[in-house]
Amino acid sequence: MDSSNSPIIEILGLDKKFGRNTVLSGIDLHVPKGQVVCLIGPSGSGKSTLLRCINLLETPDAGIIRFHGQDTTQMPKGLLHAKIGMVFQQFNLFGNLDALENCVLGQMKVLRRSRIQSVGIAGKYLERVGMLPYRDARPDQLSGGQKQRVAIARALAMDPEVLLFDEPTSALDPEMVDEVLSVIRTLKDGGLTMIIVTHEMAFARDAADRVVFMDAGQLVEEGKPEALFTNPKNDRTRAFLSRSLRGHGTGLA
Amino acid sequence: MPNTFFGWIHLLIDEYGSLFLQGAGVTMLIAVVGTVAGFVIGLLVAILRTIPIKPSAPAWQRILLRGFRTVLTVYIEVFRGTPMIVQAMVVYYGALQYLQLDMSALLAAFLVVSVNTGAYMAEIVRGGILSVDKGQKEAATAVGLTHWQSMTNVILPQAIRSILPAVGNEFVVNIKDSSVLNVISVTEVYFMSKSAAGTYLKYFEVFFITAVIYFVLTFTTTRILRLVEKKLSGKDSYTVYGSQSDSNAPIRYSPEDR
Repeated sequence: MDSSNSPIIEILGLDKKFGRNTVLSGIDLHVPKGQVVCLIGPSGSGKSTLLRCINLLETPDAGIIRFHGQDTTQMPKGLLHAKIGMVFQQFNLFGNLDALENCVLGQMKVLRRSRIQSVGIAGKYLERVGMLPYRDARPDQLSGGQKQRVAIARALAMDPEVLLFDEPTSALDPEMVDEVLSVIRTLKDGGLTMIIVTHEMAFARDAADRVVFMDAGQLVEEGKPEALFTNPKNDRTRAFLSRSLRGHGTGLA
Repeated sequence: MPNTFFGWIHLLIDEYGSLFLQGAGVTMLIAVVGTVAGFVIGLLVAILRTIPIKPSAPAWQRILLRGFRTVLTVYIEVFRGTPMIVQAMVVYYGALQYLQLDMSALLAAFLVVSVNTGAYMAEIVRGGILSVDKGQKEAATAVGLTHWQSMTNVILPQAIRSILPAVGNEFVVNIKDSSVLNVISVTEVYFMSKSAAGTYLKYFEVFFITAVIYFVLTFTTTRILRLVEKKLSGKDSYTVYGSQSDSNAPIRYSPEDR
């Protein structure tokens, strides 16, 4: 294992195109172990695509992404996905399985854990997100916030070193946003490395160790939340922040 | 010799009743084997056809996958684009003359109906897979499941529920269409009827009985399938929406229905 100050995730010169459309260009980003990084920026700025490149849901066109210094494209897929978990905007709980089985499937199939062990671990994480009483519930019996908490437990059950969140609260009714954000805060206290794409500026401001502002496929500015929110250096950052801090709810999904 | 319609029906049933029953048994056997085997073929073909071709994969892998997809597409197109009666002749006599393979007519029947049904099922299953939300596959991938694992554990269980009516429909089609196998002397109910009709040259009376037999078979099957479907929809979280074999099934999902 690397020492704690070397980056757990290292992105160098990342480019991504969809057809002729350049979505990401020249992204460099280092994420040290235990850090919480929030990616903010207008819709279509490439935040989600960047996240999806990190666990290879999208294949980068150029550049390199390293996990503990190892090129992710060279890693076995199962290992990569177990180490780098993901939580989706639309939850994407497996519709044919109950909450517990959602958390068990990957452990048994990918990590080859026994059923007993998997169920134990799944139960532990469901409890941690406050969803243990709903272990037998099917996804369509749960509210959005509950689904997202199960989705977080599903990701945690794989013992990831990094957790990626793709707008985890954007599909939620306002009253459910807090239950999910507070779960994410407890993960931060547990020292988990997280990269979070979010439109929740207040959350980014108080939960992030570092905030990264992206626009038009480029990484425009990054810094500590206090610095970036109170004293943005770039004009585009300033314009975006004044827009999104003015009225809460930018209508961006 | 009887001189009324019912007189003839009575005589024919007396004389050929067991022949009709035997034929009906063979017909059902072919329909069951063909539909089950065809369904398995359809699942496999659909899983293989949906293997993603990653641009990052090595060239030989991409070429292999593409070649494979083409072969499967050709299979589907050819077997859906030619009549089963012709397929039966080609397979049976082709095997006999060029492969020196003298299969029993029944084995040839199983083969032809399975492979033919497989081509239709492949498209039905593919439709079912496409109807499952894309996020399900992404989530499965993100957890680390392989294509095969995500298909068998997550995607297909959801797809199959939605295609069940279409699969049942194929079964009913097979009961009726296995009649074409009489051209290779499979002793199903149509073939039996032809033999029975020959004796007294009473075609109308014999095939009236045949029609009744087919109708009883398909009607019963449809009702049973409907029950199975109901049973599946009985569970709290799943309803087979827009069922084709139950006119009372809801067309659209509304959460309040639960």
